Amino acid sequence: MRYIKLPSENFGEFFNSLRAWGKVYGPVKKGKVCSFQEVHGVEEVALDYKRTTLPPKKFFVRPRDAVLKLKNGRWENGVESEPFVLFGLHSCDIHGLKILDKVYLSEPADPYYKARRENATVIGISCIPDEYCFCKSLGTDFAMDGFDLFLHELPDGWLVRVGSVRGHEIAWENEGLFEEVTEGDLANFRAFEEKRAKSFGRKLNKEGLADMLDLAYNSPVWKKYADICLACGNCTMVCPTCRCYEVCDRWLNAYEGVRERRYDSCFMESHGLVAGGHNFRPTRLDRFRHRYYCKSYFDPSAGFNCVGCGRCDEFCPAKIEHVKVLDEVRGSLQ
Amino acid sequence: MSENPYLSYEARILEVKDLTPREKLFTLRFTDPEVGERFDFKPGQFVIVDVRGFGEFPISLCSPPTRKGYFQLCIRKAGRMTKFVHRMEEGDTVGIRGPYGNGFPMEKMEGSNLVLVAGGLGMAPLRSVLWYAIDSGKYEHIWLLYGTKAYEDILFRDEIVHLLRHGEAMNCSVKLAYEVESPSCIYLEEGFSQKVCRGVVTDLFRGEEFDVNKAYALICGPPVMYKFVVRELLNRKLSPGRIYMTLERRMRCGIGKCGHCIVGTSTSIKYVCRDGPVFTYWDALSTRGLI
Repeated sequence: MRYIKLPSENFGEFFNSLRAWGKVYGPVKKGKVCSFQEVHGVEEVALDYKRTTLPPKKFFVRPRDAVLKLKNGRWENGVESEPFVLFGLHSCDIHGLKILDKVYLSEPADPYYKARRENATVIGISCIPDEYCFCKSLGTDFAMDGFDLFLHELPDGWLVRVGSVRGHEIAWENEGLFEEVTEGDLANFRAFEEKRAKSFGRKLNKEGLADMLDLAYNSPVWKKYADICLACGNCTMVCPTCRCYEVCDRWLNAYEGVRERRYDSCFMESHGLVAGGHNFRPTRLDRFRHRYYCKSYFDPSAGFNCVGCGRCDEFCPAKIEHVKVLDEVRGSLQ
Repeated sequence: MSENPYLSYEARILEVKDLTPREKLFTLRFTDPEVGERFDFKPGQFVIVDVRGFGEFPISLCSPPTRKGYFQLCIRKAGRMTKFVHRMEEGDTVGIRGPYGNGFPMEKMEGSNLVLVAGGLGMAPLRSVLWYAIDSGKYEHIWLLYGTKAYEDILFRDEIVHLLRHGEAMNCSVKLAYEVESPSCIYLEEGFSQKVCRGVVTDLFRGEEFDVNKAYALICGPPVMYKFVVRELLNRKLSPGRIYMTLERRMRCGIGKCGHCIVGTSTSIKYVCRDGPVFTYWDALSTRGLI
């Protein structure tokens, strides 16, 4: 990995140079909530944001996406995408994208996702966890790959890790803005990471998590929380790794139509419903448990399907906490 | 097949046949001969039918791959889209993409006995196996145990009656169980007293001896059926690895992206569309929620 330094006074210029790589989207604060929006200057970006409501998956798997266009009775391939820059992704969200990559880029690759992924420049930024974050427990608090540049805050600027060829190109074209990293910068970087590692309040015990959950299939804890759960599906909408989608066709006028994909949630009763009315997950308990199993599935090559971003906790209207549910399920086993 | 796996190929309906009041058999052929040439499948695989402007739905292939130049789909009128398809006629076109899924391991089972256990609409994917096995002649003996509700619900009735009558000559024994009595059923029962009875599909096992070391069971039917049939087979000491089941889920994309067909728990997650729809009983034992 190549490390370079971006002094504070050059930050604005560096940010403006990113526009050469496409429209720039970054975290913008509106009232109490934050979301990724198009930005035109560094002053619009909330550099110290905690988390956005919708994760960056919305740029790749859109909430509502017209994938195919119907014209004169024929489908037209609707794959189109322009280059864009995602500025200010946290490490957990970068890991979230990697999990989506595993699904959408495996053969046969999803052409829409693939095109958008290839067109995206990802610039990460370091963060300080809040009371909902538990990414450290899952090992997603630090991104080793999956980004083009990653900015770590220093007292007098940013330590930049270059993670891809495109990252090198960006650094190359803005050569004058960067400096070599000094011993002092590295010490500051380490101090920041140590301070950050200590500030996690929430911890998930992932020891034998997958096995433990499997054993606890009939635990009464599932029932307890399924009764509290409103089955609104908020947690799945804001999850950076939830990716279920529904497909439907819609007519625009008498001659033209579109095939649309939109987010679906395993909390909806229709999720497991098949033709003829049989439902493979008929109760709220079934659906609630299914989400926890899906998120806690451990893939040896990619880890858990959860990145510990804390969105599902923060945006749950019933105040159900992911870590607490898993801990209680574990407790019910003993 | 194409660069965009969600794009379907146009197929023309060559024939529409009423099988029962609810099910129709559609015989199709790709409009582009080159696509038709490339289209090859295994018994047990499925396709996604694309009705432009209305939506898509998955349907298992019910004709055997040994019959070239066309393929058949048995479609039950169960929802909005299938209702629309039921109104289609000869010459109309639909989109087809696929085939998807793993299919039955027909090559592995060569030389063995096949015990096909079908319940209701489960006859459709197993018909592909049945005729593939008969056409290829590579299997020692084939049993078809078929349970239906009533006489009117028997799918491929003429083929079943034909096999009841002449099946033995093709190394195939067919047995039929029905639940609702009717004059036609009684007539069938009188004609084939050893082969037709009133009851459920597990009743058909009575009196049948399979060499469990040489037999494979292939099951398809409504969700409730699997448990009872598997119990019957395990009682006869058939190894779980020799029990194949083909399952149904809400498969939207067919290629493991949309997430509707995910089953299992944290230790074993399976996509029915990609890892299945054919699973062995071993898979069912290690993946909760499969059956």
